[in-house]
Amino acid sequence: MRNESWRNGVALLTALFILAPVGLIVWQSFLTDAFFSPRAGVTGATYGFVLDDPGFWDALRNTVVLSVGMVVIAVPLGSLLAFLMVRTDLPGRKWIEPAIFLPLFMSPMVLAFGYIVSIGPSGFWSVWWERLFGAPFWNVYSMPMLILVVGLSHVTHVYIYVSTALRTVPSDLEEAARVAGGSPLTVATKITLPLVWPSIAVSAVLVAFLGFELFGLPYVLGDQDGRMVLATYLYKFNTLLGRPAYQLMAVVVIFIMLITLPLVMLQRRMLRTAQRYSTIGGKATRAHLVPLGRWRWIAFAAVLLWLYAVVLLPLSGVMLRSVVTTWGPLVAVRDVLTWDNYAKLAEMPLIRRSIVNTVILAFVGGFASLCVYALIGLASHRSPLKTTRGLDFLVLLPRAMPGIVAGLVVFWIFLFVPVLKPFVASLAAMWVAYTLVWLPFGLRLVSTSFGQVGRELEEAAHVTGAGALRVARDVTLPLSRHGLMAAWLLAFLLYSREYSTGIFLMGQGNEVMGTMLVSLWNGGNIDVASSLAVVNTLVIGGGIALALRLGVRLDA
Amino acid sequence: MRDFNTSALGRWLACACLVAAPVIATADIPEGYPADYAALVAKAETEGSVVVYANTEHAAIEPIVEDFQKAFPKIRVDYIEIKAADLFSRVSSESAAGALKADMVWSSAMDLQYQMVEDGIAAEYVSPEKGAVPAWSNFGDKIYGITYEPVVMVYNSKLVSAEEMPDTRAGLASWLIANKQRMTGKVATYDPERSGLGFFAVSADAANGNALWPLVTAFGAVDTKFYTSTGTMLEKISAGEHAIGYNIIGPYAYLRAERDPNVKVVVPKDFTVVLSRLAIVTEKAQHPAAARVFLDYLLSHRGQTVVGNQAHLFAIRPDVEGSATIAGLSAEYGDILKPVKIGPELLDAIQPMQRLAFFRKWNDALKAGK
Repeated sequence: MRNESWRNGVALLTALFILAPVGLIVWQSFLTDAFFSPRAGVTGATYGFVLDDPGFWDALRNTVVLSVGMVVIAVPLGSLLAFLMVRTDLPGRKWIEPAIFLPLFMSPMVLAFGYIVSIGPSGFWSVWWERLFGAPFWNVYSMPMLILVVGLSHVTHVYIYVSTALRTVPSDLEEAARVAGGSPLTVATKITLPLVWPSIAVSAVLVAFLGFELFGLPYVLGDQDGRMVLATYLYKFNTLLGRPAYQLMAVVVIFIMLITLPLVMLQRRMLRTAQRYSTIGGKATRAHLVPLGRWRWIAFAAVLLWLYAVVLLPLSGVMLRSVVTTWGPLVAVRDVLTWDNYAKLAEMPLIRRSIVNTVILAFVGGFASLCVYALIGLASHRSPLKTTRGLDFLVLLPRAMPGIVAGLVVFWIFLFVPVLKPFVASLAAMWVAYTLVWLPFGLRLVSTSFGQVGRELEEAAHVTGAGALRVARDVTLPLSRHGLMAAWLLAFLLYSREYSTGIFLMGQGNEVMGTMLVSLWNGGNIDVASSLAVVNTLVIGGGIALALRLGVRLDA
Repeated sequence: MRDFNTSALGRWLACACLVAAPVIATADIPEGYPADYAALVAKAETEGSVVVYANTEHAAIEPIVEDFQKAFPKIRVDYIEIKAADLFSRVSSESAAGALKADMVWSSAMDLQYQMVEDGIAAEYVSPEKGAVPAWSNFGDKIYGITYEPVVMVYNSKLVSAEEMPDTRAGLASWLIANKQRMTGKVATYDPERSGLGFFAVSADAANGNALWPLVTAFGAVDTKFYTSTGTMLEKISAGEHAIGYNIIGPYAYLRAERDPNVKVVVPKDFTVVLSRLAIVTEKAQHPAAARVFLDYLLSHRGQTVVGNQAHLFAIRPDVEGSATIAGLSAEYGDILKPVKIGPELLDAIQPMQRLAFFRKWNDALKAGK
């Protein structure tokens, strides 16, 4: 009998890590004021207040539509993109790969702003269009546009999951299908798709989750018409009643959790048979690419079109904004050109500090989070225990909290738990919040990769006398390195642009770029915000390109 | 400060200060300051830093901090910028946990700032500069107004000519109705439900007579767009997406107008609400002396000159000259300026029932125009 008690230990710690903030929110939702306030009394009226507000139902409807729309757009496209990149002879894969991650570099608020500058009513692409073809047929502030933008910009999330899975799937089956005369499409749908189905299912659920807590894009693009989704509706309670109404925010978070519950069940159902799909066997095989034939250039053009929509359009808007004092159809660009926005950037000593902090948090912190996710993943990996399987449900809960709420709750926990108090407003507290918020994403990536390691390899190691640690070190971890690397990359990207989570945990000298950007932008300093956004994109993009060049390869 | 003096370390430091005082006294204490001010500065320098929580953006703060550093090289300013409502959350949470890090809290959310006084977070301190600033700008020696910021209208001169742009609320209301087709979707203002500052400014309008409500009805008629931040509004007015912005915070508007000649500022002639960024020194400050020295600097002639002429936040001290000062504004607009009174009545703005009643009236007025 192997010793399994360590699994219980890890499960318990994880549960505490998740349930402490969730518990605090439940408690807060039944109070009349902030939980730490002497004015607070117990009440259930908070739920009635929210349910009676027509604004809540509007926001709920918008959220569901947005979330469904996102899944419908992002999941098929992301899966297709992964197939094209990993499995086919699509031209230009080498340089397309880093570009795929570009939509993740920019803070969603800046991304949304980029769209306004490029295809908004005064946007420069709109002005060109108007000159050539007449009035534009789109409205950047409309709901269909919002769905399209969020859908297309989340293709990358799905891509990361599915491509990671694909890289571990041996290609001999596809090759057999191809030899037997299957077209690329038949191979993709009949062979590849079923093999990576668990990853697609997981990414679909996660994207739907992201849809529920989406803040930046709907906040900026829905601002002027007051169109709200649950996360922006919740934010309204920060000011609606004068003092921040935490109890009402807590109620909305609880509703988000309840609504996302069916999604969790759905995911469990879909993954019940996941073990069938362990695909990393003992035999080494070399990957063979499916030739696309005449589809080659069509696929290439489609990928470029997507990159144009999610990278070039918003990025060109932000870049243009960073070198002008103003924009729009009323001015000629040559009259308003300036490098001042970059000069101003150099004048702020804070910027340098925030870049350093961001890199530390994203790179080192991202790695530390990866270690946490890997530990939790190992604890529940092929675990016979009920406790660890309970984690399946728990780990999704933190994502039902929008970043700003998660940040506030982690701040409260650090503040009101005596042992943690000295660490409040430190990079460490920020790291804890980030790790919590992105737990479902990192963990799923890691644990699906673990799931694809053939059981027989681990069993073989056990039989020859290896303990759990040894099996993890010599078998599971090395074989799932794709998933681990992808999780690190994802953490790096998400941490480097995260902004809302850190607001309450910011202290002297631990500013991060994401938060700086948003506060500059909110403060009306769009000149510096856009030049900083461009620098931010270059720093992260350069980092990724360098890493790929130096041989840190996702497909190694 | 009481805690400080009774602790052993405090006593030791106080002794050290007394010994050091004669030496430092020869250093420049501003004129008119009490004789023992050198001791306060010495103590502040031993403390070494002052932690400021505020919502003024870094770019505006940079010149102030830089100049303060020149005046007091031994006192570092740790400036933490947080949005107004989040700032309040942070301060009240930290205070409830007995772990307040801020030595000074400085924010444009006047109502929430006064709530902190009410909650016992602010310390009483009679600044030696008190006599030099308007008497109404301080309440109970616990809360000090640092700036004098008019709330203005803004327009894009390529879309609306200077001759036709109205300069009163009543004028704007009737002009919008008369130009309904042209102005539909072209007007921007704060959403009072989603912006604390927006609510505060518009409820100050409502407190100054009845001119607001016909204007709100006109807003409804031209399908006005409602925003949560000044930055977005100014950006879109500058780009021509909107033509007119109502209730824009002065410093941002003037700064924008300076950079973009198409953006013009109108100071409403019927009355102009004036807001102030309010500062409190915290009761539980870990650097109490440094906080006081920083407050005195902000109110001093030197500090106010930077606040007005470099940070463009509009100096509140009458003896500072320049366009972005109370003197410059008063010379030009005189009696139409209506500064919001600083005192317990600020709390009216954050009574939930009053707010909900206001929103109902606001939404009814909007609907009446549609």
